[in-house]
Amino acid sequence: MKKSVIGKKQPSPRIEVIPIETDVLVVGGGLAGCMAAIKASEYDTRVTIAEKANTVSSGCAGTGIDHMWGYHPSVHEAIGWSIEDLMEDHTRIIARGLVNKELLYLVASEAYERVLDLEKFGVNFRYEDSKWPGKFRIVTQFHSVPTTWNFDGVDLKVKLTREAKKRGVTIINRVTVVDLLVSQGRIAGAIGVDTRTGKIYWFRAKSVVVSTGRVNRLSRTVTGVWGNHRVPVNETGDGRAMALRAGAQIINMEFFTPPGYSIGNFELNLGSPRNTVQPAGSVVGPKGEAIIPRTHFSEWEKMARTRVNPSETRAAFEKTRVSPLMWSQLHDKGEGPFYLDLTGGTEKEIRYIEWSISNEGKGSYFLDYLKKQEGFDFRRDKLEWLPNSRELAGTAASGLLVNKNLETRIKGLFGAGDDVGGVPWMCSPGAFTMGWRAGEMAAKAARKQKSAIPAGREQVRSLSDFCARAYQNGDGVSWQEAELALQNILAYYAGNVRSELMLKRGIERLQELKERLSFRAENPHELGRCLEVRSIIENGEMIMRASLERRESRLAGYGFFRADCPEKNDAEFLAFLALKRDGQKYTFSRVPVK
Amino acid sequence: MFKPIVFDEKACTGCNKCVDVCLMDIMEKNPEKGKPPRVVYPDECAYDGACWFQCPCRDKGAITIVPPLPMKVSILRGKKRSAS
Repeated sequence: MKKSVIGKKQPSPRIEVIPIETDVLVVGGGLAGCMAAIKASEYDTRVTIAEKANTVSSGCAGTGIDHMWGYHPSVHEAIGWSIEDLMEDHTRIIARGLVNKELLYLVASEAYERVLDLEKFGVNFRYEDSKWPGKFRIVTQFHSVPTTWNFDGVDLKVKLTREAKKRGVTIINRVTVVDLLVSQGRIAGAIGVDTRTGKIYWFRAKSVVVSTGRVNRLSRTVTGVWGNHRVPVNETGDGRAMALRAGAQIINMEFFTPPGYSIGNFELNLGSPRNTVQPAGSVVGPKGEAIIPRTHFSEWEKMARTRVNPSETRAAFEKTRVSPLMWSQLHDKGEGPFYLDLTGGTEKEIRYIEWSISNEGKGSYFLDYLKKQEGFDFRRDKLEWLPNSRELAGTAASGLLVNKNLETRIKGLFGAGDDVGGVPWMCSPGAFTMGWRAGEMAAKAARKQKSAIPAGREQVRSLSDFCARAYQNGDGVSWQEAELALQNILAYYAGNVRSELMLKRGIERLQELKERLSFRAENPHELGRCLEVRSIIENGEMIMRASLERRESRLAGYGFFRADCPEKNDAEFLAFLALKRDGQKYTFSRVPVK
Repeated sequence: MFKPIVFDEKACTGCNKCVDVCLMDIMEKNPEKGKPPRVVYPDECAYDGACWFQCPCRDKGAITIVPPLPMKVSILRGKKRSAS
């Protein structure tokens, strides 16, 4: 009989170990990881991506992305808007002051060059019907002047995978990396598990880029459907968990993104009438009254004749921004229902929006579902505007503390993309630019090393024991059971409003959970989920410990509220709180915002 | 609990591309060659559409992803407007 791929059969207790030698190891092959690998390959180094799913469809942009922001020289210089103005916009409007300016500069200033690289990899950014310089499609989204390119990004991951392979990058799919190997303050590789075969991978590497993305599954979703969240369901904060265990510093875990409202129950990245569903989208109340009015295409012919006054433009833009909390406040007053309404749009606008949706996130499939399964038409019908789930440690501002070369305090260990903390809403341009820089730096660091430091024998044995125990632990705890228990603890003790005594009790409860936890896995697939839950628990603990340390309340690009410290305290806390763990001891250092 | 993926046996060639690209690795190849894969872990579906997008026979309806009831959108139906 043919063996099944995922398999119900228990692997033999003796688990096979596959040794892999490489120069640069990239952990996580999303946008940032693929870019890092592609760039690293230019330096005559052996480059390997370890990816827990498949690089053609993994990561936040796994099934597409329709937008990225950045400084666009030929547009912005013409209207007298400098890169400093873009940074000021991002710092004030999005980050409310709490931002890593060096990284922000990297993202803002190099995004355009990465667009040119992406074009070389076959991604289309130019359109004959566009009147913008370069024939780009440029819209207003994050900033007070148009800084967002819309583009054909639905198969971006397919193209990046193709480019990486063309350049000789080795891609190992279905391997969940579990731990980093460090020797004398220097990275030496990583270990992971193939979640199809159960084999252990022992990577020896001269440098490592960690780019595993964000954290889902810290809380239950609004719809109750597991993982129905805008963050991919297999992003479980593995990178920051393994980096913490390895001795790196993690920031911003205490912040969360308040639950906003979005399109229907199907949580995806389409967001609001200020992004993918612009310009014709508005949100209306029950009588058709506009609560968020529609926008219009920015027209280059008009813009090109004007010079921008940055502070006035910013002030005007800020007035149009809607707090995500507004919807629940209206709901609490008995108002609603609300609808996303495109029915006033012209045919051209609706086609543009459908094109955007088909390139964005899960949008390609979502649009197909809307049309074929629901008979929905934006020209006629409205979609109910419903609450979505909050994101803990959210919006891409939590993660590894790195320097401007993306290196952590561990020599040769780099971060990229959403695994790096410090710039809220850096999203895809963050992944493209940081991935590129991290790949370059990791390759250069690897070239300086003669060979990888031998390390990991102990960790491989310990991982092997963990796996063998889980396979044989018939009375153990399933990953689902452990995940629910963790979510309950976080929901109660680390809710939207937190306090010292509640957080301390929450940490005690979490310790109890960790002590009781003895996983059961029927096969490597389930073992992979157990490993994810282990990461989620680690992330949950970071959230509670960081929340305890931030003794203030602050609305930044995200929220943080302490009932016992309700005021914002810039004197002490306009800083990143860098969490570090030595053995079981957690320490914080304050990294002031420059 | 859910039945996220429906294959049309007539349109599906059993190429298993969907098994390869699935984010959550919820499918396995059918032991019978040429037949649609089996969904082994339906409740772990990400509803991201990767399997559908990558399916070479998707236009023939080989694969349909069906969101569970709590995920289905709520629609306020309007009247067809005249084309402008």
